[in-house]
Amino acid sequence: MPRFLVLARKDLGLMLGLGLGLAQTILLGLLIIFVFSLSLPVGETMTGQAAAAIFWLASVFGLVLLFNALYHLEEANGVRLGLLLAPISPGTVFLGKALAGAALLLLAQIFFLLGLVVFLGQSLYGQWASALGLVLAVDLGLVVLGSLLGALSQGQAARESLLSVILFPLLVPLLLGGVKLGGGLLSGVGFQDESQWLTLILAFDALFAAVALILFPLVFREG
Amino acid sequence: MKNSVLLSTLAVAAALTLVAAHLAIWLHAPVEATMGLVQKIFYLHLPLAWWALLSFFLVFVGSVGVLVRKTPVWDALAGAAAELGVLFSGLALITGSLWARPIWNVWWTWDPRLTTALIMWFVYMGYLVLRTSPIPEVKRRTLCAVLGIVAFVDIPLVFFSTRLWRSIHPSVMSSSGGGMEPEMWQAMGGSLAAVGLLWIVLVALRVRQILSQDRLDGLWAARL
Repeated sequence: MPRFLVLARKDLGLMLGLGLGLAQTILLGLLIIFVFSLSLPVGETMTGQAAAAIFWLASVFGLVLLFNALYHLEEANGVRLGLLLAPISPGTVFLGKALAGAALLLLAQIFFLLGLVVFLGQSLYGQWASALGLVLAVDLGLVVLGSLLGALSQGQAARESLLSVILFPLLVPLLLGGVKLGGGLLSGVGFQDESQWLTLILAFDALFAAVALILFPLVFREG
Repeated sequence: MKNSVLLSTLAVAAALTLVAAHLAIWLHAPVEATMGLVQKIFYLHLPLAWWALLSFFLVFVGSVGVLVRKTPVWDALAGAAAELGVLFSGLALITGSLWARPIWNVWWTWDPRLTTALIMWFVYMGYLVLRTSPIPEVKRRTLCAVLGIVAFVDIPLVFFSTRLWRSIHPSVMSSSGGGMEPEMWQAMGGSLAAVGLLWIVLVALRVRQILSQDRLDGLWAARL
């Protein structure tokens, strides 16, 4: 098994086994969606675009919690040194963390989607494949930056707020794309002439994947 | 010593050009026909925005310098540029908002340049938060450098995404001349130069200050 998969499996095992992070992430996301449902007058349904924005808002808050928890795993007892001394490249650590983060985020997003259906009265109108494609494309960018910057706030006292303040504005292009395309799906019109948004999302993914692979070793060694 | 003389000369030059630029703005350039006096704010708004953008580029240059050379000078440069960038882009946002109220009848509207400026302001405020976080010095330098690079790579993406969303900003610079009188261009040139000189002086002073503070901290730590 490739080493990054071993690392991802270890992190997933710890996170799911100890119940760290994931339950918190799902709870927070569902709470956000529920609180936003209060903005609706009785009997009215939210527009697809607003619902998509709430979905991605829940996702980025979840992202912050998940990556803080993922990097927190190695903080106790200097275990991070063990990871540094292991015969693996920092890039492997980055990939392992990103993969574990992606799996956990996708799990949480299943619940967020249920929240959209239950609390906000949304429907995907059977466009499951497009929705999955969109979520995967946007999540790729999210976890790439989450994995890079999660390492950055590792060991800080106020790491949740620090990571949020740094991460959220950087993710704006990706979130705009997610809201635009997701809004189309939730309104039942699908992707209409939105190839530019798809290109932008994929460009974001590719650019930051490259940047993260170059910069992550520096962050991780200094950490 | 030589540097101090140069810096003082530059500071005096900045003050004089600022006075000259304001004379040009208020006395030389004509009052704009449709917008009236409020258009004068443009002569400050644009230089602030442009020099803020250059500050962000300098943060990127300083950050690359930190990763390649690992000397404190590059870090001080990135830090000083980020502070000036946040200050200037903040002022550009405020002047833009004051200008937009009478012209567009709103304080704020969705526009690629506006939104990009605001998002960059948030990004670099985050950068400054990281700079002031209680992190060991060497580690802080590297982390800030990484964020400085990531932030700069993000700028074009933010701009394109906000442009795809929608736009109403006047494209003064893209159309040929933008309907501006030659006197207006001269006032704008003067203001750009004056704010630029002020920017150079402030960056240089702040770099020197940060380096002095580092040295003082080092001396204090050595005494303990």
